[in-house]
Amino acid sequence: MATTQENPLLEGLQIRRTPDPCILVIFGASGDLTKRKIFPALYSLAYRHLLPERFAVVGIARTEETDDDFRERMKEAVQQFGRDEFRDDVWDGLADGIRYLAADFSDAKGLDHLVDVVNELDDERETGGNRVYYLAIPPSAFETVVDSMGKRRKSEGWRRLIVEKPFGHDLESARHLNGVIEKYFDEHEVFRIDHYLGKETVQNMLALRFANGIFEPIWNRQFVDHVQITVAESMGIEGRAAYYEQAGAIRDIFQNHLLQLLAITAMEPPIDFTADSVRNEKVKVLRAMHTPGPKSVVRGQYGLGYVEGEEVLGYREEEGVDPQSMTETYVAAKLYVDNWRWADTPFYVRMGKRLPRRETTIAIEFKRAPHPPFEELAAEGLRPNVLLVNVQPDEGVSLAIGAKVPGQGMTIRTVHMDFLYGGAFRTGLPEAYERLILDAMLGDATLFTRIDEVLEQWSLVDAIVAAWVRDRPGFPNYPAGTWGPPSADELLKRDGRSWRRH
Amino acid sequence: MTSIRDIERELSSLRTEPGAETPYQRTSVMTHTAWVPPEWVEAAEDVLSLLAERHPSRTVVLFPQPDEEEGIEGDVEVDVYPVGEGRAICTETIRVRLKGKRASAPASVVQSLLLPDLPAFLRWRGLPPFGAPEFEGLIDVVDRLVVDSTEWPDLPESYRGLTEIFDRVAVSDIAWARTSRWRPMLASLWPNIAGVQRIRVQGTAAQAHLLAGWLRSRLKHAVELEHDPSDRLVGVEIDGEPAPFPPGDPPSGADVLSEELDTFGRDRIYEDAVRAALP
Repeated sequence: MATTQENPLLEGLQIRRTPDPCILVIFGASGDLTKRKIFPALYSLAYRHLLPERFAVVGIARTEETDDDFRERMKEAVQQFGRDEFRDDVWDGLADGIRYLAADFSDAKGLDHLVDVVNELDDERETGGNRVYYLAIPPSAFETVVDSMGKRRKSEGWRRLIVEKPFGHDLESARHLNGVIEKYFDEHEVFRIDHYLGKETVQNMLALRFANGIFEPIWNRQFVDHVQITVAESMGIEGRAAYYEQAGAIRDIFQNHLLQLLAITAMEPPIDFTADSVRNEKVKVLRAMHTPGPKSVVRGQYGLGYVEGEEVLGYREEEGVDPQSMTETYVAAKLYVDNWRWADTPFYVRMGKRLPRRETTIAIEFKRAPHPPFEELAAEGLRPNVLLVNVQPDEGVSLAIGAKVPGQGMTIRTVHMDFLYGGAFRTGLPEAYERLILDAMLGDATLFTRIDEVLEQWSLVDAIVAAWVRDRPGFPNYPAGTWGPPSADELLKRDGRSWRRH
Repeated sequence: MTSIRDIERELSSLRTEPGAETPYQRTSVMTHTAWVPPEWVEAAEDVLSLLAERHPSRTVVLFPQPDEEEGIEGDVEVDVYPVGEGRAICTETIRVRLKGKRASAPASVVQSLLLPDLPAFLRWRGLPPFGAPEFEGLIDVVDRLVVDSTEWPDLPESYRGLTEIFDRVAVSDIAWARTSRWRPMLASLWPNIAGVQRIRVQGTAAQAHLLAGWLRSRLKHAVELEHDPSDRLVGVEIDGEPAPFPPGDPPSGADVLSEELDTFGRDRIYEDAVRAALP
């Protein structure tokens, strides 16, 4: 499109970013992710006219299925999991460009056929050779797919590769995987999803920190006592034993979501909001992270217990799990970021399955007021201010402050000043996947993890896991529906602190 | 209730849920004031009820009743919306009937009800009485005036008064917002559209004059307008050639107003279009 200088009619128009025409090829289209996240997200994008006008989707998986069956299944998925009202005209517009192909990823012939189908569709829908490949498949299948797609790369149009987590299972495997991708794709063509970064509340952390003058001056070791990050899930492993037995909480949550939340909390202000500026600052934090000693990391595994009033099995009793399994379902750790801003300020993090409720929060606990002049407080002590960022649920920000209780005397109570997303902006929060799929189509990698971040994350995990082979903790060590093993409380108690009350 | 004090007292008591220890949380994003003369009451209520849900804030609706005996009469409504687990937020609607002489000094009523430090919007139904004290007073206390010139008689002449207040208050025009799908489409016809001499617009008079004004002011040359009345903008011809229909659905009334309430600052392109719409 012409610039304003050339075309005076463009002046002042708010041109929404619309991606170039393209084809989205989903590998692993029969999986849960496609049904629960990808298609509902595509529908919501179509509903808001955010998809390019010329657009098509090709689903590919092992299961034999016709185009119509696949469309029907995806339609049901959109009706079940979508956040917008279902409209036939919107769906029909999207469904028109949907194809399905049954193929074995390890079979080069099947993939050849895919290339034919996609090229045909390209001519039919006039998508100019632009492709987004979405790898919703286990890493073991990445290699053949990336290899095949890379080799059959057409010169016309752009290529983008969306990669789901986990990106490898340790530093070495991540390096290997990257080597495979690097052969055919440049770093700017690779979009590694960490869906937490697509969440509005996580992006709001950047707005909170860098669009407000009052927080940044106190966002450092001088004013912050410590930071607590909690990623709690009430669910168990939901039938994903094969994956979870290999991954555990440390690879499932800590390596990606948790470290990304920490990086966003601790990073320096980027010079602008471009992909590289933001990611340069995040990787500095990851690089500055101090490997915790074995005493600073706590592992846990849930046993039989109650969640939301229902009796639930212990981890070792879950289907497909080794009855002697030593896989952790809970990790708590004390981490340090060794830089000028954060030296000696602990970041306490915890994450786990079968905890009492689903909650992701970042709590910045500030230092206490140095000398409260109110006598009545002497006994109880003044509570510190806490800035709480609720990533989910109850998306928003809340600041705990001390306030005087009305009446005689000087009684102080902690009250919360709340900003609730749902309250201030009642537009409905977009799902993380909507934002991320759209960004990938637009080629904006700001909210995706760069390879150097991934490698830093893995080297930290490798260092922690290396210490674990030496001892065998007595698992299970926390009942389902509790906030983790007692040793996690000990971890903070040693420092004279405690986990936030719930 | 017959005084502002009564209104305030009623509001704070309504905010407290009966029997609960913590009051409903009030979310403050803006104050939205609407001036609703009798003939607009029904239309205004429809839009307002859709709006409250999207822009949870304080809404002050002013009903001028200059022929009645002097006094003010108000009622207050607090709507509660659930958000998240076990929480609720409330939005406030204050309806004030300004009777007799009170109808000429509404700014003094509004000022005491504005939420501090937050933007204030004034939605004026119908053609504002430019120069009249009730209007002049109100635009001085708000940040943005929202009108819909579709509701105005005698276009484009009626735009003259509007051009005189551009330096005092930022103006949004819903009629202009309703051309927003068409403008990018017309812009995409560049460079062929650069020399356009004549346009024919099938739509409201406001839309026709604003589109013509927009083309004149941006292209910096005369563009003749032929207007084909219709209650919606359904077609534009450029020198006799029909322009393609823009993609997407036309937005609803509440959608358009809602979008205007997200906008701050002056819209210079609109201001230029209005000036150029005048004969």
